[in-house]
Amino acid sequence: MRRAAPGSRVMSDRKLPRLLQTPAVLLLLIWMLIPLGMTLYFSFIRYVLNSLRRPEWTTPSLSNWRGFGNYQFVLNNKDFLFAIQNSLLIVCSILFLTVILGVLIAVLINKAFPGRGIVRVLLISPFFVMPAVNAVLWINMILDPVLGLQGLAVNGINGMIASLQNAPVVGWFFSLWPQLEPISFRATQTSAYAVIIMVTWQWTPFAVLIFMTSLQSEDQQQKEAAVLDGAGLWSQFRFLTLPHLSRPIAIVVMIQAIFHLSLYAEIEIVSRGNGNKNLPYLIGEFANNNIGAASATGIFAVILANIVAIFLLRMIGKTLME
Amino acid sequence: MGRIVLENVTKSFGDAQVIPPLNLTIEDGEFAVFVGPSGCGKSTLLRLIAGLEETTSGQILIDGEDATRVPPSKRGLAMVFQSYALYPHMTVRKNIAFPLRMAKMDQAEIDKKVEGAAKILNLADYLEQKPGQLSGGQRQRVAIGRAIVREPAAFLFDEPLSNLDAALRVGMRLEISELHNRLATTMIYVTHDQVEAMTMANKIVVLRAGHIEQVGSPLDLYRTPRNLFVAGFIGSPKMNFIEGSEAEKHGAKTIGIRPEHITVSADSGPWEGTVGVSEHLGSDTFFHIHNSGLAETITVRADGEVGFKHGDRVRLAPREDVIHRFDAEGLRIA
Repeated sequence: MRRAAPGSRVMSDRKLPRLLQTPAVLLLLIWMLIPLGMTLYFSFIRYVLNSLRRPEWTTPSLSNWRGFGNYQFVLNNKDFLFAIQNSLLIVCSILFLTVILGVLIAVLINKAFPGRGIVRVLLISPFFVMPAVNAVLWINMILDPVLGLQGLAVNGINGMIASLQNAPVVGWFFSLWPQLEPISFRATQTSAYAVIIMVTWQWTPFAVLIFMTSLQSEDQQQKEAAVLDGAGLWSQFRFLTLPHLSRPIAIVVMIQAIFHLSLYAEIEIVSRGNGNKNLPYLIGEFANNNIGAASATGIFAVILANIVAIFLLRMIGKTLME
Repeated sequence: MGRIVLENVTKSFGDAQVIPPLNLTIEDGEFAVFVGPSGCGKSTLLRLIAGLEETTSGQILIDGEDATRVPPSKRGLAMVFQSYALYPHMTVRKNIAFPLRMAKMDQAEIDKKVEGAAKILNLADYLEQKPGQLSGGQRQRVAIGRAIVREPAAFLFDEPLSNLDAALRVGMRLEISELHNRLATTMIYVTHDQVEAMTMANKIVVLRAGHIEQVGSPLDLYRTPRNLFVAGFIGSPKMNFIEGSEAEKHGAKTIGIRPEHITVSADSGPWEGTVGVSEHLGSDTFFHIHNSGLAETITVRADGEVGFKHGDRVRLAPREDVIHRFDAEGLRIA
C-alpha cells in the first residue's frame, strides 16, 4: 500500500471537489457567455436580415463594424425611454397589486370554513392558464367594449339608468347620471392597464399560494399571547402576521420582478405594442429586421435587469438574512 | 387582587367532555399548581381561566365578578407559555412593552415599566436584542417580564419550564418562587412534574381525566393522599403499593408505603428481598428490591453510605405509623 504524500492529500481535499464541480460550472458559463458574447458582438456591427441596398449587411462580419452606432440608434429611438418607463410601470404595478391582493386573500382563506379545499383549488387555477390564452380571454371576453363582459355590463347599467329616469319619485336623481362609456383597452392610453390587470389576475394566485403556506406555519401561541396582551385583530395582523410574512413577500417580489420584466405575449395580443411597449417587446420589433439594434437593446435590457436585481437584493437580502 | 373561583365549570370539544363539572377556589396571593399526567385537562383548565377556550357551562369568577364571557384581554390575567411565545421580530424591549403599547399607555411610562421589569429579571443588558439571540432561560424571563408589566390580577404559567434543561429548570423554579414572594400576586402554574408542584406550590390541585383528585398543600398531599392515584403521583420515587395478605393484615385492600419510610438492613425487619438495581445519588441510595413476595419491586431509600450490592439478601422494616391504607375503590381508609 502506498501512502499519499501530505501535499497530495491537501490537493485531494480541495481540488477534487472543485474538479467535480467543473463540468457544471463550465456548462453554465457556456450557457450564459455564448449568448451574451454573440449579443455583444451583434450589437457592435451592422447586421440586418434583409437589405436590397446593402446585401453585405445581411451576414454578420467584423467588416461591418459600427462601434456604438447601434446604441446611439437605440437611444435616439422615440420608443426607447418610453419602453423603459413602461417596463417599470408594469412591473411595479403588478408587484404592488399581487402582494396586497395576495396577503388579503391568503389571510381570508386561512380560516377554516366549509369548502375551503375547493376554494383553494379555484384560487390557484388562474396560474395554470397559459399567458397567451390569458391575454386572449381577458381582452376579447372580459375587457372588450362591445362583446366583452365590460361592454355588456356598461350597456346593462346604461339601460337600467335610462329606464329609471322615467320612474316617478327617483327619476330626477337618475336623470342627473351621465351615460357611461365603455373603455377600450386596446387603445394607446389604456393598453398597459389591460396588461397589468390580466397579469395581476394570473399571478395573484402565486402570491396567495406562497403566503398561505407561510401563514400555516405561524405560531398560534404567539397569537394567543397577543390576544391576552390586548391586541385586536388589526394589531395581530400588523405586529405579528405582517412581519411573519416579510420573507415570503420578499420572495414573491423577487421572483415576479424577474418574470414580469420579460412580459411579451400579453403585450403582443392586447395592442401589438400600441401605446404599451417594454424592452423585450422593443427588442422583438427591432429583430424583425435590424438584429444589430435588437442586440444593443438586449444589452440595455441586461443592464436594466441588473440594476433592478441589485436594488431588489439590497432590499430583500436584509429580510432573508435575518 | 386575584381570587379565582370556578363554579361547575365544564368543557366539551364536540361530544367529548374533557372537563366534567368542576369546582375550585384559588385565594388571592396563592401559588396554585395544577398537576397531573399529560392529557388530564390541566392545560385546558388554565386556558379556560385565561379565556383562550370558551367555557361550555358553569361560571368563572375573578375577584367576585363573572368573567365567563369576558374576552381574554379584559380579564386582567397574564399568561406565560411553554414555547415562550415571544414576538420574534421585536426586540426584548418591544416584546415587554407590547401589552402596554396595546393599552395605549404613555411612552415615558412604558419605558419606566419596561426598565423596572428588566431590572427585576436581570434583563437590562439584553433589552435591545431579539429573542432569537437569547438562551432558553433568558427567553422565559422575557416572557415573564411581558406578563409582569401588565400588573395582572393573576399570572398563569403553562408548563413554563418544560423546554429548559435540568439545571436551568431548578434555577428558574427558584426565580419564579422568589417572584411570587416579592409580588404576592396569585399564580396558577400548570406542570406534569410533581417535583415542581411540591417545591413551588401553596396549593396543589391534582387532576386526572378532568377530575380534581385532591386539593391541598404539598405536605397535606404527601401525608394524607386521598386515593391511590394521588398517593402514586405525589412523592419521588413513587410510593410502594402492596396487595394481598400483607395488606389484609392492616385491614385494607392495598397498603402504600413510601420508599423513605422503609429501613433496609442485613438482619432486622419483617420483610425480606433481593437487591436489584441500586441508584446511588450520593446523598441517598435507592434500592430496588425484588423477590419480597409483596410486590414486583419495592423501592427503598437509604442513606448514601449504605452499600448493599446487586443480589444481596436484605431485610426491610417499614415504619408502621406512616403506612397508608386504601380500600377496594382505591380510597384512603382514615
